[in-house]
Amino acid sequence: MPLLAWAALAGVATLACGSILAATDRLRSGLMVQAAAMALLGVAGVAVLAGGQTIGAPFHSTVGLAFGLDPLSGLFLALLSFTAIPTLLFARDYLPGRPHAPAVGALTGVFLLSLAGVLAARDVVSFLVFWELMTLVPAAAILLAGRDREARSAVYAYIAITHLGGAGVWIALLALAHHGGIGDPAAMASAGTGAQTLVAVAALIGFGTKAGFIPLHSWLPRAHPVAPAHLSALMSGMMLKVALYGLIRVEFDWLGTTPRWLGLALLAVGLCSCLGGVLWALVQRDLKRLLAYSSIENVGIVALALGASLLFSGAGDRTWADIAFAAALLQITNHAVFKTLLFLGAGALDRATGSMDLDHLGGLLRRMPWTGGAFLVGGMAIAGLPPLNGFASEWLVLQSLVHVVIREPLGIALAGALALGGLAATAALALLCFAQMLGLTLLGVPRTQRCAQACDPPVGMRAAMAALALMCVALGLAPGLLLPTLAGLAPGAGAPVAALGAGLHVPGSGSYPTLGLALAIAALTGVLASARGKRRAAPSASWACGQPFVPALRWSSESFTKPLRLVLESILRPRRTIEVTHAGGMVQSVSYEGEVHSLLDRALYEPTVRTGLRAAALARRTQSGNVRTYAAYLLGLVMALLVLAQTGILG
Amino acid sequence: MSAAATVIQLAGIVLAPLLPGSIQSMKARLQGRHGASLLQPYRTLMRLWGKSAVDPEGTGPVYRIAPALVAACMLAAVAIVPIAGRAGALGLGDDALVLIGVLALSRFALAMAAWDTGNAFALMACARDLMIAVFGEALLVLAMLLVALPAHGTDLATMSSAAAGTQIWNGPAHWCGALAFALVILVETGRQPIDNPDTHLELTMIHEGPLLEYGGRDLALLTWAGAARHWVFIVLGAELYLPHPAGFAAGLLTLTASVAVLCCALAVAESAQAKMRILRVPALLGVGCAIAIAGAGMWIGGVGV
Repeated sequence: MPLLAWAALAGVATLACGSILAATDRLRSGLMVQAAAMALLGVAGVAVLAGGQTIGAPFHSTVGLAFGLDPLSGLFLALLSFTAIPTLLFARDYLPGRPHAPAVGALTGVFLLSLAGVLAARDVVSFLVFWELMTLVPAAAILLAGRDREARSAVYAYIAITHLGGAGVWIALLALAHHGGIGDPAAMASAGTGAQTLVAVAALIGFGTKAGFIPLHSWLPRAHPVAPAHLSALMSGMMLKVALYGLIRVEFDWLGTTPRWLGLALLAVGLCSCLGGVLWALVQRDLKRLLAYSSIENVGIVALALGASLLFSGAGDRTWADIAFAAALLQITNHAVFKTLLFLGAGALDRATGSMDLDHLGGLLRRMPWTGGAFLVGGMAIAGLPPLNGFASEWLVLQSLVHVVIREPLGIALAGALALGGLAATAALALLCFAQMLGLTLLGVPRTQRCAQACDPPVGMRAAMAALALMCVALGLAPGLLLPTLAGLAPGAGAPVAALGAGLHVPGSGSYPTLGLALAIAALTGVLASARGKRRAAPSASWACGQPFVPALRWSSESFTKPLRLVLESILRPRRTIEVTHAGGMVQSVSYEGEVHSLLDRALYEPTVRTGLRAAALARRTQSGNVRTYAAYLLGLVMALLVLAQTGILG
Repeated sequence: MSAAATVIQLAGIVLAPLLPGSIQSMKARLQGRHGASLLQPYRTLMRLWGKSAVDPEGTGPVYRIAPALVAACMLAAVAIVPIAGRAGALGLGDDALVLIGVLALSRFALAMAAWDTGNAFALMACARDLMIAVFGEALLVLAMLLVALPAHGTDLATMSSAAAGTQIWNGPAHWCGALAFALVILVETGRQPIDNPDTHLELTMIHEGPLLEYGGRDLALLTWAGAARHWVFIVLGAELYLPHPAGFAAGLLTLTASVAVLCCALAVAESAQAKMRILRVPALLGVGCAIAIAGAGMWIGGVGV
């Protein structure tokens, strides 16, 4: 067995040790052992990715556990390691003292194991076992960490929706195995379009539910916010990505020929997800819910790139299929890094201020410079601002969509143009959303007493966030170094994309000189800021039409998004109640309450739940609890079977 | 890449204030006033540069760095916009999508400064600016798409060459693009009917709002950045969406004339149009997006070519 396989095995064993250690009241050292294990797995992943080799078993459709790694699994495993190590370092200082910390720490290790297991599984049985484990472990950890009503109902919705939708994963994989199509595209190509369509649709629904595509997303903004910070980070940062890994495997690798409608379906789903995700993100008041909704947006952007790649490869345009695929992988990488950073940052802010309500924070950049600085970098990256990493992948996705319009026939090109306009609007909405998030949390005057006394967390948590922020900067400055490797991972990749330095360069279309732009903007800002000089007039109060600037005049999350909510009233459907109490003709008090419900929750989920409950009520009538009734049911069933057998219907 | 284009880009840094200056003085003439001279923006900048800056209570480094970052972004944007179909040699490339990213960064910097002051007027204006940008950015990308189609890419110099000559005006697609970009110019330069640059009423400000707290050199940087925004969009409009020849010397002459024409058009539009209700703006921009998508459809369908 090669050295790498041993490294991976040692990593798995160490991870198990770390979990046991965490469970036995050695929480801190247990988490550090888990981090060491993730480092070993990361080495294996990077080596497999860089070497372009395969270790362990290949994919097979028969029964029998098999594990192995190929470059695509290697990329996701490396990503898992790069985000898990800072997360574990963060958890080392964050977890102790929280409810059921040892158990949560141990479950963190099991969760990481299940994520790695899905990536390394090479047969259906082990894939499905780790897949279910990946769903259930965070649910257990959320219930352990917080047993309030909100957590229970969130976990219930999470398990219900992901299992109903997750049936698609089972159907897709079992159908693939039935046709011998796991790891063998030729088998599915000969299985006929019926089987292909079944697998494609089932995988889209199954993996799409877990990835958070709209309209299957409803569990995500409920479950992610109630988890402890480090688990939210892993769930949003990596669990969604592992679902996308599954989607890529089935739809790109094993489907044989890819139908055109699948590419268009991914474009449609991606467009709905990115616009819907960011729209609902910006009307949230809870910081972690906002971040959860923005995960839906980012997954949508990945779906747009994947859809474009499928359309290109369907048309035989290999170069662009590879570039769009690389765009999807780059977006996955970037989102894993900055979403982990933002969830960890939210955890640190929560720890310091005790609140996740955006209107109860403020002024934290000066009080928590490390957390605030890292949070600012993460927020700018996710808002897609150059020269950070979010812009690099967004640029590549935009390029891919522009070329869908340029290269494809009329119908598909128009879909591409819609997607392009939608993605541009998404980028602007994300800017609005994260300008608001950063402004309300980091800038201005603290809105509560606890906020005013907040201070930075211990060194481990600071280091974790700083490392992730540095990764955002590095990935933003040198995405070009990664591009050829990522493009080479596309199934059936054509001629390799040439590496042209650190920046992004798409032959014949355009280029994004990352280093030049970053240097120019940084240097010019520095020069101009110093030219501004230190001369200052005496501090004055902010202008409020001559009034003193009192707290009631402060801007809140609702006020900043007000213009947009007015414009998009038909989609967002804001509800508000204003109560004015009069006494003796004078207004005594005015109370205002406003909220925005998810349109899909009301239009789709509530009717479904109502119908389900009504069906359950009907079914309950047959359940009298009387033994004799059940005996009668059994008798009736036996009689019916006998009659059927007699008439020959059962054969 | 061309050295001559680079020289003109650098000159653009100095010439940019001339554009809002000329629009204002032309507007004054159209309205029967004498008005200030063309050079008034330079005098304003000189005066502001000599004054000291003001930091409202409670503001921090974000507020202080924002004007410099905004101006740096606009400098980068000026260096990205090609001149007469030639890219500059300043190493920032000439990609349309990168330009959009850089402009987004400057918008973000101003929003952060507004949050740092906590000033309600600044935030109100920023919220409106970012709301309009949601539709404006979609419109900008779609308008760019209509020139990216003939150029097969988003390289601005190539796009400008692809839009040169009269051939491209035969079909309806480029007319749609020009119409869409006309709206983009109105939005991005903050002119009527979208925004009123002359307003002194805080409640109606959009682009002027975030500048309320700033004074002295900060305000000078931000005022220059506003002028540079005019330069970027008016030059881009002339390069991509107005008829121009392919050669550099002839292109440069046409560019000068086109910029003058666009400034006149803005002055006329601003004199003839009242400001729109802000909640009507998205519908206007939505119509622009529909026109752009229809144009893309007609180009791909080969209508009239």
